[in-house]
Amino acid sequence: MNRKLGLRRSVGRLWHHFFFHKMTEPSDPAPTAPVSTPASSAPGQAQPATENSPQTLPIRDSKPTQPTGDAPASTDGAADKPLSPAELKKKAKADKAARRIREKLEREGGTTGSTTPTPSVGAQARPPSTPKKDATGTGSAQKGPRAPPPRRGSGPVAQTGSVLVEQKKKKDDKKVSVFGHLYGQQRRVTVAGATKEVHHAILALGMQLMDYTICGSSARCVATLIAFKRLIESYTTPMGTSLARHLTTHLSSQITYLSTCRPLSISQGNAIRALKLFIAGIDPSTPEASAKISLCEYIDSFIREKITVADQVIADSAAQKIQDGDVIVTFAGSSIVKQTLLLAYNRGKRFRVSIIDSRPLFEGKSLARDLAKSGLDVQYSLVHSITHAIKDATKVFLGAHAMTSNGGLYSRVGTALVAMSAKERASGVEIPVIVCCETIKFTDRVALDSIVVNEIADANELLPMDTPVSLVVPNPDAHVPPTPENKKGGNRTPAPEPLVTPHKTSSSPLADWHNTPNLQLLNIMYDVTPAEYVDMVITEMGSLPPSAVPIVHRMVTNL
Amino acid sequence: MASTTSDAAVADTKPFDIVATYNELLRSDADLTMPIAAIEALVLLLTQSASSTISETLDLLEKSTAHLKRSIPNPIGLSAGTDLFQRYLITTLQRPGQLGPAGDFKAIRTHLLSNGRLFIRRAKESRDKIAAFGRGFIRDGSTILTNGGSRAVAALLQKAADEEGGSSAVRFRVIYVLSSTSQESKHPDEEPEGMETVRALRAKGVPVSTIPESAVAYSLGKADMVIVGAEGVVENGGIVSRMGTYQIGLLAKAIGKPFYVVAESHKFVRLYPLGQYDLPIEQQVVEFKSEEDLAEERKQQSSVADTNGDTPIKLPLCDSVDFTPPHLISALITDSGVLTPSAVSEELIKIWF
Repeated sequence: MNRKLGLRRSVGRLWHHFFFHKMTEPSDPAPTAPVSTPASSAPGQAQPATENSPQTLPIRDSKPTQPTGDAPASTDGAADKPLSPAELKKKAKADKAARRIREKLEREGGTTGSTTPTPSVGAQARPPSTPKKDATGTGSAQKGPRAPPPRRGSGPVAQTGSVLVEQKKKKDDKKVSVFGHLYGQQRRVTVAGATKEVHHAILALGMQLMDYTICGSSARCVATLIAFKRLIESYTTPMGTSLARHLTTHLSSQITYLSTCRPLSISQGNAIRALKLFIAGIDPSTPEASAKISLCEYIDSFIREKITVADQVIADSAAQKIQDGDVIVTFAGSSIVKQTLLLAYNRGKRFRVSIIDSRPLFEGKSLARDLAKSGLDVQYSLVHSITHAIKDATKVFLGAHAMTSNGGLYSRVGTALVAMSAKERASGVEIPVIVCCETIKFTDRVALDSIVVNEIADANELLPMDTPVSLVVPNPDAHVPPTPENKKGGNRTPAPEPLVTPHKTSSSPLADWHNTPNLQLLNIMYDVTPAEYVDMVITEMGSLPPSAVPIVHRMVTNL
Repeated sequence: MASTTSDAAVADTKPFDIVATYNELLRSDADLTMPIAAIEALVLLLTQSASSTISETLDLLEKSTAHLKRSIPNPIGLSAGTDLFQRYLITTLQRPGQLGPAGDFKAIRTHLLSNGRLFIRRAKESRDKIAAFGRGFIRDGSTILTNGGSRAVAALLQKAADEEGGSSAVRFRVIYVLSSTSQESKHPDEEPEGMETVRALRAKGVPVSTIPESAVAYSLGKADMVIVGAEGVVENGGIVSRMGTYQIGLLAKAIGKPFYVVAESHKFVRLYPLGQYDLPIEQQVVEFKSEEDLAEERKQQSSVADTNGDTPIKLPLCDSVDFTPPHLISALITDSGVLTPSAVSEELIKIWF
């Protein structure tokens, strides 16, 4: 049953590609083609090299980007026409090649010929836009499939004919030019439009990543691996191919989907690379069942070794660095720092914790709550009061998103500010800056600044005045503003798809920023702290100076 | 080392006293460094013990190491040696083949012991290697400021003096910072650490000036570089060394003179101090006392003559150390080459993994 389904699904996909190929290649994308959608959600096979690069334009859109009705159509088409395995294979190859070419063309077209308005109805209405556009957006956008896949660089704009040419110009102004290269594709906002082959566990994970329910480098990595395990458990190798070969491509499409939800973290990328390597190493003669079991075991042990146990080891050695009477400053909410502080407290160390937090994610709030609940002395302040908070600090503990090969700490934006304030010898005492980081987060990339590599989040997140933005409801004036606690707790259910018609009157003076000339909003996610501001990196391999990151990374990846 | 004699006396009654052996070794051979003495003591322990399994051997090693570390006031230096030896044992035992876990234990044992000796011999030779590497740093007409009683520094300077023509030609000068703390302590008549080197250098025709620690800033202007020894080189490339080295480092940085450290690579310790007060030893350096406290102390001293029990051993001031952070160090001259401070962690990782 399962197997049959899988086969059917893949046939559907192949057929779909074939169909799509035929439709798109000779002429301009036909606006009617319902088939184009799945391809649009899978722009490019996941390339490990680019997995981490921010490819999405993280502008959040309210409307479901894709209709759901198109997928079955192609499935039916496939069911009608049985194909021999050989034929299928051939077609698949041709389709793939064609798709690559098309994508390439589109990419080029997206950058050069983006001014040509495409006659589509799939206007991605931005919440605070003109009523006219809203009408199109709420009305037809729900139904009309966007015929051409979203063009790279064109964003969610400019798809409703000539009106939007002008609008597009405006939109381009909204990209902060220094960070222009980071505005990739738009970020996905719903599950709609995902290809059929995306597993439901991955769909769910995508949603959770999207709205920051699962946030933090380690958590994202673990969640991804667990979702992959689900996927592998329910996976059956289609006929005429081997597990090692097919599963990798199958995984790739899942990964592509995930990366449209939120650009993959370094840890996710590293884990995926390790997993793919393991899959490729499976002997083709291994029976599927045992191969699947060994894969699941591999994932389990990977999570255990690289994250669970690693965290314990790190927390253990980091907690030894905490002395009685210390004042520990930390920024935002790192799970490993939390673990460290709790462990030190449980070992009888008595110290104060000063949490520095910042908008828009307020990750420090749940940390503050959890630590205070456990009995620690906690002071919570926002990043504006950094000089005050750092004045009586004795140590700084930071979490990491990644450590780069030149020893840079790539972490939540604001981290560099904290580290630099600690190193500034204003008070005559240097405060050690300690980073807790698993080696899974090490990367061979080099980061000299925070501009070249970064992630841009939805600028609308910056709008709300006193409550954090609802991360699902794109409209800041959403009727139910979520409480911060709610969001931080991580148990926040994704709000129902907004039926909200955007209000023009907003509490925030910036609400109408899209239509305000000369106004740009920038919401970046990360920054780079240069190595000289970091005294020590605590990993599961021991404590290192930041300069030793590349050595350890090489060692870990070679083993 | 006050308790050495009593320990040595007990050594006969006990089967094997690692602490006494260690102290004895250090005393008998002036050229021996702490890590090497520790390794040698451990090798002696293994030769005398009758362990017959791997786990028994490792267990014995661990216990004796812990005991040794507890009994020595400043175990930073020796822990480099014990850690290295333990690591070496484990890797040898894990290696496949005849000497691996499956092999004959007796063969493993003899192999270990002979290699342990080899290790000691090599370590002693390393000072010559360092001198060879470091010689290039001492140029004609340069003035070198140094401190403490480091044998590696002494070897380097003497080698340079020999190289450059001995007594006939004077090519470099030395400013030797002599510690004043030893004079304040119990033996005021004892000459300060380093006097021996000073005499040896003078005998070779090298002009040496001896200055007190308080004159370092004043004299640094006349020096071209600072060369110091180290008790231990820690993971971030900083050094643990004789009290006063840190301030010389700070002054050298402020004045812009290069600050070189001479250390054997067996002195690399798996330790990551974040600052002066993050060392795993207790030092009586900064102690606040009022008249009341002093009176109390005097009373206690008169009433209790000698309590050499199991109270935590505190380091006397003359033996105290400080930590020189890596950013003050220009380079480390070791037997595996001239390293930048950040390369130390790389070397350590190579040894440990």
